[in-house]
Amino acid sequence: MPIVLRPSRQPRIATPVVSRRRARSLLAAAAGLLTACSGGDPVVTGETGGTMVIVQAAEPQTLFPPRANGTQEMAVVASVFDRLAEIGPELGTVGDVGFVPRLASSWHWAPDSLSIDFSLDPRARWHDGAPVRAEDVKYTFHAYTSDAVLSEARSLLGNIDSVSVRDSLTAVVWFKRRTPQQFMDATYSMFILPSHLLASLPDSALLNAPFGRQPVGTGRFRFAKWDAGTRLEIVADTANLRGRAKLDRVIWTFVSDMGAATVKLLAGEADFLEKIKPENIPQVASSPSLRLEDNRPLGYGFLGFNLQARRSVANGAPLPHPVFGDLRVRRALAMALDRSRMIRSALDSLGMVGLAPAPRVLIPDTSALRAIPYDMAAARGMLDSAGWMDTNGDGVREHEGQALAFELLVPSSSPTRMKLSELIQAALKEVGAKVTLQPLDGPTALGPRLEARDFDAWMGGWAPNPGLQGMRQTWASRGDGNYQSYVSPAFDALMDSALTTFDASRSRGYWTRAFQQAIDDVPSVWLYEERTFVVLHRRIRIAPLRADAWYANLADWSVDPAQRIDRDRIGVGTAR
Amino acid sequence: MLVVVVAASAAFGLLHLAPGDPVSGIADMSNVSAELRAQWRAQGGYDQPIAVQYARWMADVARGRLGRSTSQQRPVIDVIGDRLPNTLLLMSLALAASVLLGTALGAWQGARAGSRRDRALTFASLLLYSIPEFWLALALLYVFAFRAHVLPATGMIDAAMYDSMTPWQQMVDRARHLVLPWLSLTLIGTAIFARYQRSTMRDVLRESFVRTARAKGLSESAVRRQARRAAILPVVTLSGLFFPALLTGAVFVERVYGWPGMGSALLKAVGDRDYALVSACVIVGSAMTALGSLLADVVRVILDPRLRGS
Repeated sequence: MPIVLRPSRQPRIATPVVSRRRARSLLAAAAGLLTACSGGDPVVTGETGGTMVIVQAAEPQTLFPPRANGTQEMAVVASVFDRLAEIGPELGTVGDVGFVPRLASSWHWAPDSLSIDFSLDPRARWHDGAPVRAEDVKYTFHAYTSDAVLSEARSLLGNIDSVSVRDSLTAVVWFKRRTPQQFMDATYSMFILPSHLLASLPDSALLNAPFGRQPVGTGRFRFAKWDAGTRLEIVADTANLRGRAKLDRVIWTFVSDMGAATVKLLAGEADFLEKIKPENIPQVASSPSLRLEDNRPLGYGFLGFNLQARRSVANGAPLPHPVFGDLRVRRALAMALDRSRMIRSALDSLGMVGLAPAPRVLIPDTSALRAIPYDMAAARGMLDSAGWMDTNGDGVREHEGQALAFELLVPSSSPTRMKLSELIQAALKEVGAKVTLQPLDGPTALGPRLEARDFDAWMGGWAPNPGLQGMRQTWASRGDGNYQSYVSPAFDALMDSALTTFDASRSRGYWTRAFQQAIDDVPSVWLYEERTFVVLHRRIRIAPLRADAWYANLADWSVDPAQRIDRDRIGVGTAR
Repeated sequence: MLVVVVAASAAFGLLHLAPGDPVSGIADMSNVSAELRAQWRAQGGYDQPIAVQYARWMADVARGRLGRSTSQQRPVIDVIGDRLPNTLLLMSLALAASVLLGTALGAWQGARAGSRRDRALTFASLLLYSIPEFWLALALLYVFAFRAHVLPATGMIDAAMYDSMTPWQQMVDRARHLVLPWLSLTLIGTAIFARYQRSTMRDVLRESFVRTARAKGLSESAVRRQARRAAILPVVTLSGLFFPALLTGAVFVERVYGWPGMGSALLKAVGDRDYALVSACVIVGSAMTALGSLLADVVRVILDPRLRGS
């Protein structure tokens, strides 16, 4: 059914008032300034002070924000740099609702909503003391969209036409068209860069510039040192406009072996681990010095079916897949999977059954979705009626000479997906389908097979951004990451409508229908959402973990003054 | 030189023939479009035919340019400069201790072959020899860092306290962090050298010059001293084979203990299809192999007068 796009409501023209939150940050800023002015080094009592040691598997590749991709980089980058405005805890992406000021103290929408003026806080300073200027915003957009830099965020900035400088403290972001997410485009995707340090370099030199390993930002933490392979340290910026970070120092150490990383925590040498193996949870839970915090990152896993015959795209002849080309087969296979039991078996209480091609936190109305029920009898009946019968008694159904058999690619690095794939294999055998598991190294072996569409089915997983614009890439008919070759004009139209309407309730309705369409079309079986735990030393007090980035409020984490240990008494040290 | 060129070329070829490329490592992110992936490939030259990539790489290497590490986003020479001293420190201490302890132990066992103590030590060295390196590393970690809390678990320094220590404390801190990885490697190395030396010593003690020495009335300690000198030659050859490990490191031990050496860098580079870094490691490793063999030959000639004439 075609979707009629109605004229959308103009987004709220926002001039933020001083909210309680803002007032709190102003008070904190005042306190920080007082600390800085008094020349006081570390405040070892009270709210500020202390050191947190993070142990993580991988070392960052670069701290140059446009090329910082993974969590290992983003945790540092988001602490050292600022955006113009920060997304709210609800992860709302329509207009500027929920966004809070960062480098921009206020913003004004143009009457036609095709531009936004961002007024920079005149007191904002780079960590080297230079003032933050509108030119920095203009340069940032240039760097993020440069052909020489090739930032991953570039695809998210496609709707921004340009950035101009109205005066030294006002940057104007110009858009190609009005969209509900245009404010997010201008803020969420870019950390502001110092033009006074980078603009003199040719773009081709940016990736190799020392800045990538010694960044200068505006965040409440400043970069201190990076000893390659050993540690990376940031320290509180005691003169920061928004108040100094409560912790004196955050230090990342790198241990690629998860068992050794856990021992480091249990031995008291580290304070934080982003994700722990399920089998280590009881040991950590029983440790008197550690505690677990629930963390629900944005992500979901699925069993993806290739709806086109293998390699048919490469051969220029898109033919339906001999097994998955038939919707009835896909539905039957979905009905044969008792997902609740499988998730319990694989993840115990650390998993939830997947609902749709998005994690729950980004699905506007989960209660409206109707899942495909588990029903073995119905699954068998549906396969029978589709003509798939076991005529030779070998336990595998056939239809027109084609066996109901397929290869399932599994990323070998994911224990969860490995375990689930075995359960799927066993469950589908019950209805006469033969599944051959093919574990592959994710990045190097699985990726190329998917890109070439050279597969039958795969154990997939995506981690979308707030706003779900990435769904165009992963599930829309012409999406690059739509490895399943799922083609549904109805789904595409509903998703486009949901992403382009300014009316929140209408958008919610479109999303519900789009997700239901994807559930009914069964391009994949939505399997699970993983619940993870971060591990913390008990003396560390944290701000709420944001689903898209646990580190988002790192500057508000602190150490309980009553439980401080030796490393908490070092202060911000010589790195200042 | 030929060995280095052949080994590096083989590594380059095999790595490029394996599925994936440096871009594949980040290609499963939903926000990375196929267009961007293609641009990244073009930027790195990975979309060129393998022959073109090989010619360009060889030309660069010939000019002394080892390229840029894609997994660490910096020049390969910087990566090696950071990692090599750490590996040299760990491996040279471990190799030295292994050679000294292993040869002494093996010689002692060889001279007392079949005794109860020899059988006990043979069992112990066989056990150590059979244990996977990473398993031993994890076991030591569990005992000394987790249970007894007497040694630090991972890393080279106390990341939080190091800068506030006195130079003496810093030295002690580094030494404490070195103990577990050193011990893991030394235990296994000692077992290898001891088994080798024991067997050689036993063979030497059966040789005619030993019988002659005894017949001439030399004391048993003097006989053994002569035998030890003859039995050391195969160990010198073995040490030469171990020499490249000084640079390439101990992959699993470095990984378990978070030791920032060449081994862990190489392991990650292989996983990330970091062509430049892997190729550079192979060049360095094969050069060290050739150098190790040469040094072993030289030492053998010095130790064995019979080889001088030939």
